[in-house]
Amino acid sequence: MANRLLEVEGLAKHFRGGGNWLTSGGDAIRAVDGVSFHVEAGETFALVGESGCGKTTVAKMILLLERPTRGSISFQGQDVSGFRGGGLREYKRMVQAVFQDPYSSLNPRMQVLDIIGEPLRVHQGLRGRTLRMRVGELLENVGLNPVTASFFPHQFSGGQRQRIAIARALALRPQLIVLDEPVSGLDVSIRAQILNLLVDLQRDLGLSYLLISHDLAIVEHMSHRVGVMYVGKMVELATRDEFYGNTLHPYSNALLASVPKPDPDIPMGTTIGGEVASPINPPSGCRFHTRCPIYLETSMCREVEPDWREILSEHLTACHKVEPAVV
Amino acid sequence: MVNQNIEDDILLRVEGLKTYFFQRNAVLKAVDGVSFTVAQGEAVGLVGESGSGKTMTCLSLMRLVPQPGARIVEGEIWFKDENLLDITEHEMRAYRGHRMAIIMQDPQTSLNPVYSIGEQVAEPVRLHLKERGQQAMNRVLDALRAVRIPRPEQRLVQYPHQFSGGMRQRVVAAMGLTTQPELLIADEPTTSLDVTIQAQFLRLIRELQQDSGTSVIWVTHDLGIVAQMCDRVNVMYAGRIVESGRVRQIYKEPQHPYTRALLDSVPLMGARRDKLYQIDGQPPDLRSIPQGCPFWPRCPEAMDKCKEQYPPRTSLGGQDFVHCWLTEEGR
Repeated sequence: MANRLLEVEGLAKHFRGGGNWLTSGGDAIRAVDGVSFHVEAGETFALVGESGCGKTTVAKMILLLERPTRGSISFQGQDVSGFRGGGLREYKRMVQAVFQDPYSSLNPRMQVLDIIGEPLRVHQGLRGRTLRMRVGELLENVGLNPVTASFFPHQFSGGQRQRIAIARALALRPQLIVLDEPVSGLDVSIRAQILNLLVDLQRDLGLSYLLISHDLAIVEHMSHRVGVMYVGKMVELATRDEFYGNTLHPYSNALLASVPKPDPDIPMGTTIGGEVASPINPPSGCRFHTRCPIYLETSMCREVEPDWREILSEHLTACHKVEPAVV
Repeated sequence: MVNQNIEDDILLRVEGLKTYFFQRNAVLKAVDGVSFTVAQGEAVGLVGESGSGKTMTCLSLMRLVPQPGARIVEGEIWFKDENLLDITEHEMRAYRGHRMAIIMQDPQTSLNPVYSIGEQVAEPVRLHLKERGQQAMNRVLDALRAVRIPRPEQRLVQYPHQFSGGMRQRVVAAMGLTTQPELLIADEPTTSLDVTIQAQFLRLIRELQQDSGTSVIWVTHDLGIVAQMCDRVNVMYAGRIVESGRVRQIYKEPQHPYTRALLDSVPLMGARRDKLYQIDGQPPDLRSIPQGCPFWPRCPEAMDKCKEQYPPRTSLGGQDFVHCWLTEEGR
């Protein structure tokens, strides 16, 4: 318990939805609807799910870009919503982010020196030579030549831009980096470079990652623990080995089966029909029941929301059909 | 699924295709001497990173290269017994959308927002099959049913914004399939789809392919899709096919260092590695393709010879081949 760096408890975010400027608004969009997990020091926790499952909204709340409707986020045991002034600055220093698209996350009019140097100037008051030296150091850390500090983003390829974004995130020696689909915009050969870099940095600097991804192969490669979200809810959470070796929730199984395996001898698994349900009017009971392959016409799945239970040690899921192991 | 006896039923044969972009002070060789065949009912993958020329190859096949700017400068594209580069634009229209169709990456931009789905799917039917009224309508309904769109009669009158991404991609597929083309070109049609929706779409295309014997060219960078969907694969690098072979063969024994590196650099589910194999450097920049084999600056096994001369085609039996000095010298 002691090394819980970040703890998220019953987190929810409802957006005002529907309607137009005449009506007072339709039903709320329940983007995130009660999600709990924690990130330990030095580990990678992955949040997995399809578009609209709320994984990015969770990340935004952790980065204080959205205010939670309900629930709490604590960092090193302290409630983040209570941070003001210096405490808030300190939190923003320790939690950084790398986003999906390195084309829109870097200001095209700023030199690399200023992009990476800005947080150093603002938080640590570095100037002149010291600033340049620190930026050069950071560029070397991410495998770029320090001379490129005077370049502008357009002079770099996608992979190099993502390296710059990582250098910026590292500038203030953070403890947690939120990685929101960090390689999905990159070419295959460049993905490996960035993933290896992230793994090396984590080992060398003792970083924690919150990895947001839809790619289950990358998640298996990168993470220590995995949480699966579906329409605003967490449906399964386990250590990596447990998750990939002993998947419990039918949605997790469907996700795993849907990934085309790069081996012609492994046929494609049976996947599920239908589409991700809408967070505006989520299905009653278990939100997955409309697509669930093991859902039977029991009123249970349709009417009663399944409890979030620990089935095995450190392996939680929300499904009526999964029986807890006999202890 | 694999068609062994392919010599006699070749649908498409591309020979020495070159498509260049002409810029003010540079010529970008987007496609630089590509040759391959597609047999009837066969699914062929074109794999490569951005800038490898896979999309430009497909646009060349459809004779849809961006004008002005790009031009097919050389080569032959034989569709059965007709060279598509010899016929007039008017004659080409009989192929495009009729005998060969393309599904693009982004269903958002391949549908017109101001026409209903029914009108758009009916367009190739009216144009190519000259069908009207109830007859055309039935064909459209059949196409929408074939791509498993629920309640097609009601969906017909709706507009693209009323469809989800996965449904829109199905509509685009339906447009491509109404005329029952002999060749379907799928240019990364699933990149914008979620995994479960992608799996549905892949299954659908495979079923349609089996039912109607359509040949498919899959353009993708996803080696999983190639493994699941294709009989053969052509690996492209810097505008050329560097290796071509049957999928099983290539995944088991890749010959070209680039193919090997591609296969080793993707994380595989169930096969954990401490470190991913890393291809250093950047994908080739078409403005400055290195002399010799364009892969040599990134190749761990590059020799002096590689920097001087592009390796010749080394046959690996049947239609399989590779362009690499290592294999050429080794035999």
